[in-house]
Amino acid sequence: MPLLVKTRSFLRNLFLSKRVEADLDQEIHSHLEMLIEEKIRAGMPPREAQRAARIELGGAEQVKEQVRDARTGAFLESLLQDFRFAIRSLRRAPGLTAFVVITLALGIGMTSATFSMVDALIFRPYPVPHPSSVVTLVSTTHDSPFDDFSYREYLDIRDKTKSYDGVVANADMEAVGFSAEPGNVPRVKGGMMVSGNYFHALGVEPHLGRGFREDEDQVPGRDAVVVLGPDFWSHEFAGDPSVLGKTILLNGTKFTVIGVAPNTFPGMLTFGHPDFYMPLAMAHVFSTNLQKDFFEDRDDRELYVKARLKPGTTLEQARHELAVLARNFEREYPNANRSRGAAVYTQFQTRTIEDENWKFGVIFVILALAVLLVACTNVAGLLLSRARSRTREIAVRLALGAGRFRLIRLLLTESMILASLGGMAGIAIGYGVIEWFHSKDSIVFATELPMAVPFRMDTRVLFACVALSAMSALLCGLAPALQSTRVDLVNALKSADVDVLGGKRLWGRNMLVVAQVSMSLMLLTASFLMARGFQHALLDGTGFAKDHLLMSRFDPRLMQYNATQTQQFYHLLAERMRQTLGVRSEALTQNIPFGTDDFDGVAFVPDGFQMPPDRANFNSTMDTVDEGYFETMGIPILRGRAFLPSDTAEAPRVAIVNELFAKHYWPVGDAVGKHIRLDSSSGTSVEIVGVARTIKYQSMQKPMDFVYMPLAQHPVARMVLMLRSSGDPLQLVQPVKDVVRLLDPNLPMLQTRAYQDFYLNQTVKGPLIAIELVGTMGVVGLLLAVAGLYGLVAYNVSRRTREIGIRIALGAASSDVLRLVIGKGLVLVGIGTAIGLAMGFAIEQLMNSMLFDAGGVDIVAYIIVVPSLFLVTMLAAYVPARRASRIAPTQALRYE
Amino acid sequence: MSPEPTSLLQGTLDLLILKSLIAGEMHGLGVSRRVQQITGGTFVVKPGSLFPALHRMEEEGWISSFWGESENNRRAKYYRLSKAGLKQLELETKRWGRITWAIAQALEAS
Repeated sequence: MPLLVKTRSFLRNLFLSKRVEADLDQEIHSHLEMLIEEKIRAGMPPREAQRAARIELGGAEQVKEQVRDARTGAFLESLLQDFRFAIRSLRRAPGLTAFVVITLALGIGMTSATFSMVDALIFRPYPVPHPSSVVTLVSTTHDSPFDDFSYREYLDIRDKTKSYDGVVANADMEAVGFSAEPGNVPRVKGGMMVSGNYFHALGVEPHLGRGFREDEDQVPGRDAVVVLGPDFWSHEFAGDPSVLGKTILLNGTKFTVIGVAPNTFPGMLTFGHPDFYMPLAMAHVFSTNLQKDFFEDRDDRELYVKARLKPGTTLEQARHELAVLARNFEREYPNANRSRGAAVYTQFQTRTIEDENWKFGVIFVILALAVLLVACTNVAGLLLSRARSRTREIAVRLALGAGRFRLIRLLLTESMILASLGGMAGIAIGYGVIEWFHSKDSIVFATELPMAVPFRMDTRVLFACVALSAMSALLCGLAPALQSTRVDLVNALKSADVDVLGGKRLWGRNMLVVAQVSMSLMLLTASFLMARGFQHALLDGTGFAKDHLLMSRFDPRLMQYNATQTQQFYHLLAERMRQTLGVRSEALTQNIPFGTDDFDGVAFVPDGFQMPPDRANFNSTMDTVDEGYFETMGIPILRGRAFLPSDTAEAPRVAIVNELFAKHYWPVGDAVGKHIRLDSSSGTSVEIVGVARTIKYQSMQKPMDFVYMPLAQHPVARMVLMLRSSGDPLQLVQPVKDVVRLLDPNLPMLQTRAYQDFYLNQTVKGPLIAIELVGTMGVVGLLLAVAGLYGLVAYNVSRRTREIGIRIALGAASSDVLRLVIGKGLVLVGIGTAIGLAMGFAIEQLMNSMLFDAGGVDIVAYIIVVPSLFLVTMLAAYVPARRASRIAPTQALRYE
Repeated sequence: MSPEPTSLLQGTLDLLILKSLIAGEMHGLGVSRRVQQITGGTFVVKPGSLFPALHRMEEEGWISSFWGESENNRRAKYYRLSKAGLKQLELETKRWGRITWAIAQALEAS
C-alpha cells in the first residue's frame, strides 16, 4: 500500500509537474494571505501586517524549493532539469555541438567497427548452448601446434576419453557439386562432413526434422543422408518444410534430406557457413586424400575434433588424459605417430592459434583507440575553452548558492549528452564501416564456397559503443567541469576573463597539445608503415610470370569420376588444350601460387639422412603438377630436368624440389640424383630429378621448402588448368569451354579468369582494404589533431592579448612577441613529437613482430609528418600573435 | 523503523503534525498554530519546515489533502489524517515514549 501511494506520487510529480507546481504555488499564496489576515485581525496596520507575514513566511520561492526537494523523485527531477538545461545550452552553440558530435562519432565509430573485427575473430562464442565448455582437440608435431586427426585417431579419442560429454569431428568445408534433381548440371556448394553425434553433442536442435543418428555414421557408404544449413534451405528451397525426405544429388550421389539446422547455427567456422552437412561415413563421395584410405590409414589426418567438457572436469584433467592417449598412440603406431603429441585448446586459444588475422584486428583497434583519444582531447580542449568563456555564468551560479557538485553534474550532463549523440552517430559510422567490409566479401574470398566477413553490429558491439561513449564523456567532460567550477568568485565576478590559476590551467591545455601531437604522429607512422609493409611484400617479386595466363579449376569429383576416369579426363584435357590455337603452353597444378587453398604437405626422410631420435620425418609444402607446369609458369629449372611424359605411374617415382629445399638438406653437393623416402625411412623412394628456382607461393610469407610431384605418379582429383596465351588470355575462355563440353558437358568450370587479375585480387586488393582502413584512421587522426592543435594554440595565444599589449606598451618589439608566442608552441610540439616518435617506434616494433618485417624506422613518414605538425603549430600561434602584436597597446589593455 | 539520531528532529515534527491533525482536518496555518498551542508555544513551526513535511507525509500516505474554504471564505488546502497516519501516530508515540524514558534514565544515572 505505501509503495503504491509512493509510486503514484512519483508518477504525478514526474508527469503532472505543472499541476503540482500550480497547486503548491496556490497553497503558499493562500498561506501568506491567511497570515496577513491573522495579523490584521490582531490589530496590525495592513502594510505592517503584510511585511510581518512575509518575514514569517521566509520567502515564498525558498519554501517552494524546500518542498520540491522533499518530494519523491527529487533527484530524478533535478537530473531532468540538468538535461533540459544542457540541451538548451548546447542548442545555443550549434556549431560547437555539431563539431563535437562528429568528432566523437568518428572516434567511436572507428573503434566499434574495429572491435567488431576482433570480437568476430576471437571472442564471439560458438553459436551453441554453453559454448564455453566446447574445446578443440588437436594433434601436435614439431612443426605445427595445430594439426588434424585421422578418422581412426578420432574414433579412439571418442571411445577412450572420459573427460567429455561427446567428442565430435568435422572435415574442412569443401566444394560439393549439388543438384536438386537428377539431370541438372551440378552447381558448386559448400558441404561439410561431420560425425554422427555432431548436432546432438553440440546441443544444436534441428529447426526441422532431425540431426544424424550415431548409427548413420558407422558403416562406410551405407547412409546417404544430409542435413541442410539454414541459409541454404531458405535460398535453395524457399524455406519449404516439405524438403524433408526429398532426394538431392551431391557429387552425383543421391542423398536424403533428413533435417534443417536452425537459424541460430550458421556453423562452427569463423568465415564459412556450410550449405549442408554429410556424415563422415559417406567420405568416399567427397574429397579425401586419394593416396590414403580415409577410414583405415592412421596418418590420413583430415579431421578437426571438438569436444564438450563434462561439468566438473578441468581443462588440466582433459589435457593430461589426451596427452596419455597421444603417448599410447606413439607406442602402438610408431610409423604414424612418432614424435606426435596432442593438445586441448579453449575457444580463445583455438581462434588465436588457428588463424593470424586477428592480429590485424588488434592493431586496428589500437589505432582506432588512438583516433578516439585524439577526438576526446579535441573535445576536451573545446569544452575547456567554452568553460573559460562561461566563467562568469558559473561564478554567478556558485554565488547564488548552487553546489559545486551540482554544477559539475550539470556540466557532465552536457558532455554526457554530447557523447551520447556522438555514440549514436558513431554506431551509424561503425555500421557503415562494417557494411563496407561486407561489400568486399567477394574480394576477400575469391571462392565459390559460402564464406562471408563475420563482422557485424550486434549487441556486443553496441554495448562496446555505449561503454566507449560513457568513457569519452568522462574523458572530455570531467577536466573542464572540475576546472571551471574551481574559481575564485570575487575575481571571476569582477572580470569575465582572468586566468586566476593561470599556470595550472595552462598546464592542462599544454598537456592536450602534447597528447594530440604524439597520438597523430603515432597514427600516421602506423598507416605509413602498414602501406609500406604490404608494398614490401609485393615488390619483392614472385619469381614467376603472371601475365598471359588463364586459369580454370576442375573438380571431377563433382561428377563422381573414379580415379581412372579423373586421370583420363586430365590427360585428354591437357592434350586437347596443347593443340588449341592461341595456347602457347599448358599446365595442370593442384594449387596455384597465391591461391585460396593451402598447399598440401608432404612428410619425408632424405635418404641416408641421420634423423634426430625424436623425429620420424620432416615436412615440406608440396604441389602436384604436370609436365607443362614449369614452362607455362615461367619457373626456370636450375639443375636437372623438368617432368617428362615418360614419368608415368609405372616409371620410377620422381620429384623436383626448389632451391631452398636443396640447400636446406644438401648444403654441399647437388640435390639432383638424391632420393627421399615418403612418410618414413621405410617409405617409397623418390628420386630428385631437378631443382627449380624458389618462387613466392603466398603473400606475406617467407620463402619455404617446396616439393613438386608429377600428376601421373601422384594422382589428385582437383586440379587447376593454366594456359599461357599468345594474346589476351580471356580469348581462350571459349576454346576451353568447347573442349570441356566435348569431354563432359556437365562438368563445371570453376574460377575461370585471367591469373593476373586473380593475383592482383589476392595480393593487392585484399591488403588494400587494410591499407584503406588504416589510412583513413591516419588521415582522420591527423585532421582532428590539426584542427584541435590550431584551436588550442590559437586560443592560448588569444588569451594572452592583454599580456602582449602590456609587453608592447613596455617597449617590446612585435618580433619579440612573435618569437615568444611561437617558441612556446614549438616547445609543446617538440615534446609531443618526441613522445609520438617513441610510441610510433613501439607500434612499429609491434607490427613487425606480429605481421611482417617492413624494415627499420620509416624515415619517410617522419619527414612528412613532423614538419607539417610544426607548420600547423607555427601558423596557429602566428595568426593571433600577429594580430595581438599589431593592435595598439591601449586597445589591447582594454581588450575583453 | 530503526531509531536513528538524525531522524529524531524530523520524527518530532512528524509526531507533532500528526498529533495536531487528530483534532480534525485543517490547513497549513491551522496546523502551525495548533502545534504552537498544544506545545505551549515551545515549538513554532516555520513554513520552510512545515510545508515540506506536509508534502512528504502526504506522499507517505499518512495524511491526505483537499481544497476547501477557510473560516474567511478563502480557498485553502486542508489536510486530514488517514488510517495509515493514525497507525503511524501510535508508532511514533510509542517510539517517543521509549526515547524520553531512555533519556530520563540516562540523566538520572550518576
